[in-house]
Amino acid sequence: MKKRKFTFLTFSFYAFLLLIVASWYFVIGVKNASLAELFSKENMAYATKFFKGLFGVGQEDVAFMNRDSWSHAFKLTIETLQMSIMAIGFSTIVMFLTVIPASRNVADGTMTLSRKWYRWIVFGLIRISYVFSRAIPELVWAMIVIFIFKPGILPGAIALALHNFGILGKLCAEVIEDTDSRPIRNLASAGAGRAQILMYGVFPTVLPQFLTYILYRWEVIMRTTIVVGFVGAGGLGQEFKLSMSFFHYTEITLLLICYLILVIIADYISEKSRFFVK
Amino acid sequence: MFSFDLHKRKILTVFLLLLFMWSLFGVHWQEGVMHSSGIGTAMEIFAAMFTPDLSLDILYLAAESSWLTIAYATAGMSLALVLALIIGILASGVLASGKHSRSFMKGSFRGVLGFMRAIHELVWAWLFVASFGLSPYAAIFALAIPYGGILGRIFADMINDVPEEPIQALRAAGASRLQCLFYGYLPSVKNSMISYTMYRYECAIRSSAIMSFVGLGGLGYQIQLSLDDLQYNEVWTFLYFLIIIVVFIDGWSNMLRRRMAQ
Repeated sequence: MKKRKFTFLTFSFYAFLLLIVASWYFVIGVKNASLAELFSKENMAYATKFFKGLFGVGQEDVAFMNRDSWSHAFKLTIETLQMSIMAIGFSTIVMFLTVIPASRNVADGTMTLSRKWYRWIVFGLIRISYVFSRAIPELVWAMIVIFIFKPGILPGAIALALHNFGILGKLCAEVIEDTDSRPIRNLASAGAGRAQILMYGVFPTVLPQFLTYILYRWEVIMRTTIVVGFVGAGGLGQEFKLSMSFFHYTEITLLLICYLILVIIADYISEKSRFFVK
Repeated sequence: MFSFDLHKRKILTVFLLLLFMWSLFGVHWQEGVMHSSGIGTAMEIFAAMFTPDLSLDILYLAAESSWLTIAYATAGMSLALVLALIIGILASGVLASGKHSRSFMKGSFRGVLGFMRAIHELVWAWLFVASFGLSPYAAIFALAIPYGGILGRIFADMINDVPEEPIQALRAAGASRLQCLFYGYLPSVKNSMISYTMYRYECAIRSSAIMSFVGLGGLGYQIQLSLDDLQYNEVWTFLYFLIIIVVFIDGWSNMLRRRMAQ
């Protein structure tokens, strides 16, 4: 046993080493990317021009000194906040609907002391949907969803929710799998129905952990809202893309400031409310 | 009597529900939220899920762009790991000698890490492309900076959570701070570091796939092209490749974790 563990670990180590070398070889050798070229005179000129643009050096209409653009950016910030909350709300709802049959100890009947043949099929289907949702990045979901919904914050929220319910579901199903099943079996043998088991047995024990995960995902969603905006899903990201295309660099700075403030607030809130839950 | 401590969880739940309701008012529901042909398109996309395009050209293209995606992710991740190890160890403050220099080091390097991870990798990519032009390095740096920030912060937290006793034993035996780091701190956090890095590697693959969006190639770029051509079957081929890569890495990291736990 000891020997096998050793070989798998060393195998992984060498495999990753090989992968890293191959990737760098590919980037440097095949793609002919050179670092020196990156810092050529021409590029430096472009970069300085770009950063000068960002800080509004030598421009007349500087967005982050302008009151109207601030109020516009503030409106977008609120919109983005709404999008993130809606996204986490949707994914929480879907997670709550699917998480019970998606946990292994419910599927094999050790939790509720009742075995049904269809449980494993439902378990498999939900787990496959989790994998799909998790593996496809939110930006790709947004690209697909934007074909179906009108541009605005709703498609953005749906795209974010589609990516996150799989992650939330997987994390929360693991929480249910790790709960102590004795009190719940006790409830079941005392004659409690399915709904009663859920309300009095499962939820009180897992809810604090669920809330922690939901807040953690909310923090991540906050960071990604700007990205789904790029494909037209509303909020700060959409405006960011537009300013980028029109070369309104000072507006980009303003939007980045708003975005950073949002992210910092989200970090702070999720940190604080974690104490609140405990 | 109303006790705040007893009810704080309920208060929080009600507050979060109200927040969710408020967010729903942000949508203009009465104007209709779908395109007029929205449902038809949705059905077409869903139907294409079961009939991915498996012609040879597409498979070849998918394999090629998968490699591009993996290569960028691996290169970016290796750089991020180096960044994270250096800044993370500095940010944990175990190398500082005095109390003041320790808190100064902690504060400043944690600030750097916070800034690195606050901005999303795609925004970094966009900034790099705008200033350097389309170079693979733009993708690699854009991945390395935020991932270095996240990894570095977690590494710093892990190092700070190491129990004091073995370190004190080392110090009593006359080890310097650097020796404490290499023989005390790092060996005790190595396993958790590896499993967290594997988890982040899976995320890096996904991020690298969407780097394409700023014109850097890879799976996401092909997905976008096929979507623009309304070739939903091809879209699903690329998506299945992405799913397979992610599931494979997930399985690998699970196996590693189980072996290391033994």
